[in-house]
Amino acid sequence: MNNLTLLLPEIFVVILGFSILTIDFFIPKNKKWILPCFAILSLTGILIFTLVFLSGKTDELYGGILRIDGYSLFFKSAFLILGGILIVSSVEYVNKNLSNQGEYYSILIFTVLAMMLMSSSGELLMAYISLEALSFGLYVLVAFDRYNIKSNEAGTKYIILGALSSAILLFGISQIYGLLGTTQFNEMADILGNTSSINPGLLIGFLFLIAGLGFKVAAVPFHMWAPDVYEGAPTPITAHLAVGSKAATFALILRFFISGLMPLMIDLQIILIIMAALTMTLGNLMALVQSNIKRLLAYSSIGHAGYLLLGLSALVSINQSGNFNLAFISNTNFVVSGIILHTIAYGISNLAAFLCISIIYKKTGHENIEDLAGIGKKSPFLSMVFAASVFSLAGLPIFAGFISKFYLFTGASMQGLIWLVAIAIFTSLISLYYYLRILKYIYIEKSKDSQQINLSVISFGLLSVLFIAMIFIGIYPAPLMDAIHHATDALSMLN
Amino acid sequence: MDSNNTIGLHAAWVIPLLSAAAFLIIVFSMRLVGFFFSDRNKLAMLAPIVSITAILAGFILFWLVLLDVLNFDGGSISMAWLIVGPAEIRWGIFVDKISVAMIGLVTFISLLVQVYSIGYMKGDRHFEWYFAIHALFATAMLTLVLADNLLFLYFAWELVGLGSYLLIGFWWEKRSAAEAAKKAFITTRIGDVCLLIGIILLFRETGTFNISEIFHIAESGEINNAILNSSVLLIFIGAMGKSAQFPFHVWLPDAMEGPTPVSALIHAATMVAAGVYLVARMMPIFELAPEIMLIVMIIGLITFIFAGSMALVMNDIKKILAYSTISHLGLMMLCLGTGGVAAAIFHLIVHGIAKALLFLGAGSLMHSISNETNIWKMGGLRHRMPITAVTFFIGAASLAGLPPLAGFFSKDELLLSVLHDGQYVVFAITLLGVFLSALYMARVAIVPFFGSVPKNLAQSHESGSIIWVPLVILATLSAGVGFLILPLGSTYPGWAEFINPKHHFEIKPWLMILSIILTLIALILGWSIYVKKLVSAKQISQFIPYLHKTILNKYYIDDFYQWVIDKCILTFGRLVALFDRVVINDTVVDGSAISIYLSALKTRVFQTGYLFTYGAAMAIGASGLTILWWVLLD
Repeated sequence: MNNLTLLLPEIFVVILGFSILTIDFFIPKNKKWILPCFAILSLTGILIFTLVFLSGKTDELYGGILRIDGYSLFFKSAFLILGGILIVSSVEYVNKNLSNQGEYYSILIFTVLAMMLMSSSGELLMAYISLEALSFGLYVLVAFDRYNIKSNEAGTKYIILGALSSAILLFGISQIYGLLGTTQFNEMADILGNTSSINPGLLIGFLFLIAGLGFKVAAVPFHMWAPDVYEGAPTPITAHLAVGSKAATFALILRFFISGLMPLMIDLQIILIIMAALTMTLGNLMALVQSNIKRLLAYSSIGHAGYLLLGLSALVSINQSGNFNLAFISNTNFVVSGIILHTIAYGISNLAAFLCISIIYKKTGHENIEDLAGIGKKSPFLSMVFAASVFSLAGLPIFAGFISKFYLFTGASMQGLIWLVAIAIFTSLISLYYYLRILKYIYIEKSKDSQQINLSVISFGLLSVLFIAMIFIGIYPAPLMDAIHHATDALSMLN
Repeated sequence: MDSNNTIGLHAAWVIPLLSAAAFLIIVFSMRLVGFFFSDRNKLAMLAPIVSITAILAGFILFWLVLLDVLNFDGGSISMAWLIVGPAEIRWGIFVDKISVAMIGLVTFISLLVQVYSIGYMKGDRHFEWYFAIHALFATAMLTLVLADNLLFLYFAWELVGLGSYLLIGFWWEKRSAAEAAKKAFITTRIGDVCLLIGIILLFRETGTFNISEIFHIAESGEINNAILNSSVLLIFIGAMGKSAQFPFHVWLPDAMEGPTPVSALIHAATMVAAGVYLVARMMPIFELAPEIMLIVMIIGLITFIFAGSMALVMNDIKKILAYSTISHLGLMMLCLGTGGVAAAIFHLIVHGIAKALLFLGAGSLMHSISNETNIWKMGGLRHRMPITAVTFFIGAASLAGLPPLAGFFSKDELLLSVLHDGQYVVFAITLLGVFLSALYMARVAIVPFFGSVPKNLAQSHESGSIIWVPLVILATLSAGVGFLILPLGSTYPGWAEFINPKHHFEIKPWLMILSIILTLIALILGWSIYVKKLVSAKQISQFIPYLHKTILNKYYIDDFYQWVIDKCILTFGRLVALFDRVVINDTVVDGSAISIYLSALKTRVFQTGYLFTYGAAMAIGASGLTILWWVLLD
């Protein structure tokens, strides 16, 4: 019997999304602040409920379509928290720039639902549908700033290229289903493990699948939409694209690879290595010549997708000969933990960076790097958080980004990918240049005007939380690592 | 972890945290006070109250820990800090007899020094900051003695270095103080680097930073002998730096530039004690490396004699005390080199109390005679400052080894330990050093208080009670703490057994009599030279003019270092700078940066902004990857 109560967190999120839409009808225009408050309180409640209710439960629903385990619990909680942060960071932006608040918040909440489903999908079609649910939400949100031509352009580009990538993805899925006769990850692993020679059509299927997913995480050569869309979208949504969408796709990819594709990983590794190398290099290189800060961060997040791909390509050792022993599993677990940790650390740092940009944009109306001049004097606290997030993205100690990069690179070199790690370290070095360039404008360049930037209580609180999180993870990662290890263990038990 | 003794253990980790909290509170309240109140002086007393409360609470908790360790056996608690694959790095504390003794010493001396400082530092411009660094320094030292793993210990070790740097350079507006702070920091830094290398070597061999685990692995003989020897030697070099052993001793006499209570703290309880503590703590692996033990002994012996001779000819009261500290630290190292942990730690405590007393006494003297430090410009002060005089005398007599003061017992233990090791030549030289130390103690105590009164001596009077009360407490302890060597009640079996149950307290009457005779001869000699003028010090020095001059110039060691820095290191540095500018900066860095930037500009061409380009890129990318894979796999 399917225990539907296990889906309660998702059901609650759906109810929340619809009730926001409904409440929106009944409150007057000047009381719209009720919406985000209600949303955040409910999300907190759902988070607590999820943690209490689902902890320790392992089950599958509808014959393995959805999996309830430690891994999905970890990501569900992470996405609920992320949803809360995104809503808080949207409040001021939405008030000033956007109309139709109710729709904005409810679509945002539906994307959270989609991300939660992505992390628990155990089957390709479910994965595809939840991925599309996320994408559709994002298409709308990207174009939400209706009277802004850039936002419109971004929305159009995103939906057309997104459709193309969905086509590629679906083509891949149909190939796989046609040749293997299943879309379940576990069954795929069984079939792949028992066949010695692989059908070329199947290979094309998997490659197209990777290409489609590569679009979502903005991996080279499927990355070109990212800078344009990031630049045009409302800044909180850019943060969503850079953090939420990417994290959810990686959560999906990790489960798919570990529980479905492990027997094929040795063959797929070379493609992942190439993609990782290209993505790291191109992302960081292109960021060097950007003048718009959101475009810069778009390229930087492409670079970070490259580091995560580095992790994916290190799921199996380079000398692996098809023999999955205990040492192999422990190395793989190490790498998976590294990927998850980097996703979290990169997510927190990026959220902080985008929040800073959003605040600066709200006050100055500019998004170019030159316009950051003198912010250090105008708002020391904001600049401190911005600097911390930039350092964290660059991977400097004592911030979260250092620990996660260290973990990730250690794992990859344990698996023998020394050259790829060398590229990663070299591109990190390049990235320092454009990260530090931001700081140069913030702290060294003189401002043209003396307009003060005053932080609202909401921004101040959120910035402090993100700042503390970056430093806390940077100097005392053990509690988070503990949670991540639980998630990883849940994943490898399926193996 | 034994479930019985959790209270003491938990009390133990709170002790350093209290001082850390005090540090933070003072630092932040300094900012806030400046923010809210225009008149900062009104709230100046907040800083000493916070830091003294913290250290007092630490001292009270110390008794709890001590009771626990007496009844049970100590233990350790820790928490995971960083897990990297198989290696798990933990932060934790380790409580045993030695660390309890050190906590007692550190909290007690810090407490008295801080109380004394309220009087001594009154009206200083950076009054609050002074107490903030004191709290930081106490935190660092307490963490150091409690750390259960070498990495944690190293963190605290560096923090001690930072604390001493800040305190020695406390009057940083004065150039000599800033220079002295730098000298202390850089000199000890050489040792610190060696210590770090030693720790990393041990980690590489054993895969753990945990001290007990390292002992365990080392004792089972799993560490390569050469690596064990070199890491032990490196750890000892680290200890030499902090404990001012020859040839790293040069920073300690200059450290006088800080406020006098700081000298008391550094010489007695914190900075220099760290090195001795480290060697004592790591004794199990030192004992596995007998060659290094020999080096420890020889370095200790050299330092003992050599610093003693310099203490004999200096004229500055603080310098004499500084060289006497170096000399006594040498004695402790010498004793550690013979394996006498109990005796060395005992002397560390006895010396710490006496030296804190002497420095605080010297501070009281200087405070009343307009900061004069030359002992020949003082004299006859026993009438004007009776309390300072009596307490100073007790401290000096204790360090000279006069029975029944504490120094007599500790020195006896040290001599016994050397004798047990069977090194008779070393023993004989040690006796010479004992004689020297009694002689310079006689000199430094007799001249200012009994010497003839100089003509232009400033008006002086006894210091206030906040200054003399700590002196009296220290003097009492200095006289009485020696009896700790004997058993007390049923739980305390006497010092030697307390530290190591296998040891036993013993008395060799001939040794006692010998050391008493030596001390008395030295004191009588001192009396006849400096008071009765029966023998002229000048005539003695004319016997050996060159030696005297060499010693007066501190054996030219400082000059030699200066020469090396000026001629060799700076020349080399200029060459490196030239290479850096031409090859590294202009060619490699700028050249590669420019080429990367150009390649980025080239790549930018593909980002056209047109949808069809993007779509084409995706299609070409997907098919390209497929073809590539095909080619690569076949």
